[in-house]
Amino acid sequence: MIAPTDFHLSHFQAMTLFALLISIAFGFLSRRRTSERVKYIIWSLFLFLLIGVGIGWAMYPFSR
Amino acid sequence: MPDDTTTDATAAAAAAAAAPEHYQRNEALAFAIGAAGWLVPGLGHALQKMWGRALGCFLTVGVLVLLGVGMRGNVFSSEGGDAFGMLGYVADLGTGSLYFVARALETQGSDVAHAEGDYGTRFLAAAGVLNLLAALHAYEAARGRKA
Repeated sequence: MIAPTDFHLSHFQAMTLFALLISIAFGFLSRRRTSERVKYIIWSLFLFLLIGVGIGWAMYPFSR
Repeated sequence: MPDDTTTDATAAAAAAAAAPEHYQRNEALAFAIGAAGWLVPGLGHALQKMWGRALGCFLTVGVLVLLGVGMRGNVFSSEGGDAFGMLGYVADLGTGSLYFVARALETQGSDVAHAEGDYGTRFLAAAGVLNLLAALHAYEAARGRKA
C-alpha cells in the first residue's frame, strides 16, 4: 500500500488545520443552511485559535 | 352497521396494538443507520439523503486520518496494555473502516518522539471521536429527534 506523504507542519499550522477541520465538521452537523454553516465555521475557528493561542501564552511562564 | 364512534375506537385500538412493532422497526432501522455511519464516515447521513452532512463528515474524518498517519501519529492497537492505550484504541476505532486504512498506511510506524507525531496521534483520535459524534447524530436524525 502507498504510504501518504510525510507532513511536516509547525505547531501553529497543525493547530490551525485541526481547528479548521473540526469547525467544518461541527458546522455541517449542527447547522442546516449554508449561510448559518459558514458563520458557525468562521466563529468556531476564530474561538479555537483564540483559545489555543491564549492557553499557549498562559503556559509561557512555565515553559522553562 | 357500526357507527362512526365504534369505527374510530377500533382503528385507534389497532393503531395502538401496531405501535410497538412499528416503533421497534424504526428503532432497528435507526440503529442500522447509526452503525453504517460509524463503519463508513458519512454513510449514515447519506442513507437519509443528507448529502451535505455526509460529504462534510466523510471529508473531515478522512482528511484527519490521512494527516494523522502522514504526521506519523500512533495508531493504537488492542495490545496497548495500559489505560491510555485502551482509550486511544477505542478513540481510533471510532473511525470505523478508516481505522484499518490507517493501519495499512502506517508502514513506517509511529514517531511520537517529535511534536508532529504527537499531533498526528491527536488527529487520529479526534477523527474517531468526531465520527462517533456524526454516527450518533445520524442515529438521532433517523429516530426523528433532530435533523
